Amino acid sequence: MSEAQADGVIHDLGYRGYDGPRLGRAQIVRALTWHSFRSAWGFGRGVKGKIVPALALIAMCLPALVNAFAVARGNQRLFGYDVYSPGLRVAVVTIFIAAQAPELVSRDLRSRVLPLYFCRPLRRGDYPLAKYLALTGALLLLVEIPLLIMYVGTIASAKGGSAVWSETKALIPGLGVGLMYAVLFAAIGLVLASFTGRRAYSTGIVAIACVLTFFLSLLLIQAEGGLSATSTGARVAGLFSPFTIIDGVRVWLGGNPQTGLVADPGHYGPLYGVLAVVLLAACLGGLAARYRRVARS
Amino acid sequence: MPSIEGKAPPETGREMGPEMGREMGPEMGRAVVETTMLTKVYPGDVTALDGLTVSVAPGVTGLVGANGAGKSTLIKILLGLVPPTKGQAKVLGHDCENSGETIRTLLGYMPEHDCLPPDVTATEFVTHLGRISGLPPTVAKERAAESLRHVGLHEERYRLIGTYSTGMKQRVKLAQALVGAPQLMLLDEPTNGLDPAGRTAMLELIGRIGTEFGISIVVASHLLGEIERICDHLVAIDSGRLLRADSITSFTQASQVLAVEVEEGLAQLQAELAAHGLTSAPQGTQGRTLLVPLGGDDTYDVVRDCVAALGLPMCRLEQRRHQVEELFRDEEEVPHV
Repeated sequence: MSEAQADGVIHDLGYRGYDGPRLGRAQIVRALTWHSFRSAWGFGRGVKGKIVPALALIAMCLPALVNAFAVARGNQRLFGYDVYSPGLRVAVVTIFIAAQAPELVSRDLRSRVLPLYFCRPLRRGDYPLAKYLALTGALLLLVEIPLLIMYVGTIASAKGGSAVWSETKALIPGLGVGLMYAVLFAAIGLVLASFTGRRAYSTGIVAIACVLTFFLSLLLIQAEGGLSATSTGARVAGLFSPFTIIDGVRVWLGGNPQTGLVADPGHYGPLYGVLAVVLLAACLGGLAARYRRVARS
Repeated sequence: MPSIEGKAPPETGREMGPEMGREMGPEMGRAVVETTMLTKVYPGDVTALDGLTVSVAPGVTGLVGANGAGKSTLIKILLGLVPPTKGQAKVLGHDCENSGETIRTLLGYMPEHDCLPPDVTATEFVTHLGRISGLPPTVAKERAAESLRHVGLHEERYRLIGTYSTGMKQRVKLAQALVGAPQLMLLDEPTNGLDPAGRTAMLELIGRIGTEFGISIVVASHLLGEIERICDHLVAIDSGRLLRADSITSFTQASQVLAVEVEEGLAQLQAELAAHGLTSAPQGTQGRTLLVPLGGDDTYDVVRDCVAALGLPMCRLEQRRHQVEELFRDEEEVPHV
């Protein structure tokens, strides 16, 4: 430091070096994750960037608020924590990742910022890892906050400790389903969005992939006789969309088959579980491969 | 070719001058970049580097070569982003293949192309990249503000980068390379896209960073005439091979030439010049231009007198702009001049 100050005497705006402590790689990844998490919610992006995530969160919370009022007036809880409001959740999660996954990855591709990351002490996998953790975290807030609001709204009117305990027991699998949503859709959104730096395209790719596959599965389930059907066709019809795959896993793990998106998968349940894991691995692998290539160019 | 390798380091002491020597401190005399038979062959048998052996001393070093000569590939290998096919590269004593991360904490890199997002302010952007360079939050903030001030962005730094001129964007690119307090900066074509005034300003800035800030710099360019102004040393590469590595003075001595273009009587003029003790060589095969090594101001007088004595129609007398292509030609011609 003394040397640096000596420089300052010559030029009053003199340059000062830095030989203090530096963050390790893990902390750098954490900084990048936090930065990306904030931009997933539009912070540091101006008003325009905050509109979609804010609206998505508000829309997602509405059923929980309605539930709180309903319960306060003496009604039963309106829906299960594990399914929440299934159609709304599909729509909002689709919109959120279609808008925000490109925000996290396409922007950097578009403005060719990546060389500035890779010329710093990061490894190739660190950048996609940070982006994945950030979007997972953002999605986790989006799907779990409404559940917590619903929980608080319900137990506020609950009578007695046992009622609170049974609510809590119902909440836990709900949080688990939310975690599945976050983990899987963050990977899907990012790998699709990272194909192109054109933001409109990557938003389109993500949205179309989610919507088309969802309606494909939905139609197949309808065609096979709806949620109460027990034919093989109905049991596997949910395998064609990530939303229905997660719902299949939920039912396989003991969720109520009548309230969600898919018919009871029966002994095809493990297939849903395997497919969820395979899909997640494929998306993460694709994401890593994508950035291995980008880092060299 | 490897025999040229040794040329650069011995010049260091004399070139740097006492005040730089003080600032360079421990770096003195140690090569900041060293490559040994460095070869890079891209898939499809594209040879970008072909047995490049060179040693770069502390200070400001120009890396010159035509487009496609291998400059950018060399920089990517130095950054540890691309593994060499053969050979070895060392930056600040660390091996590029094994210690990429360590090297990248010591390096600042300014890419050739646009690399700035339009929708953030320069302050936010440079601060963020400071964090990614491993600076703690408050230090990153301070250094971002300082770096932007050093490159001449004051109040503008709170504006969105999308509203900047090309010159300001180049400055932001330079500031982000500076923010991590590097020991060595790799600048790839830093004057790209700038107007003449902007080029001069950018070069002065780089020169200042090299001399006053005490940061070693390798600046890649295809315009030798431009970067020779700020460099202590030059490394010229062509087709992935080392052409020459030397101190700037020996380069300019060799490459300062007076071009004399006459409409006729080239041979007579050459003879007349020879009679006055000036060795000249015709340029190309067109036979209208003579290249005369520029010794000093009196060279102009001798040429003028010779042309006047012969009564030749002269249409051009100019000091040559040192494009890299000419440097390559000089390689063949100059040694016997």
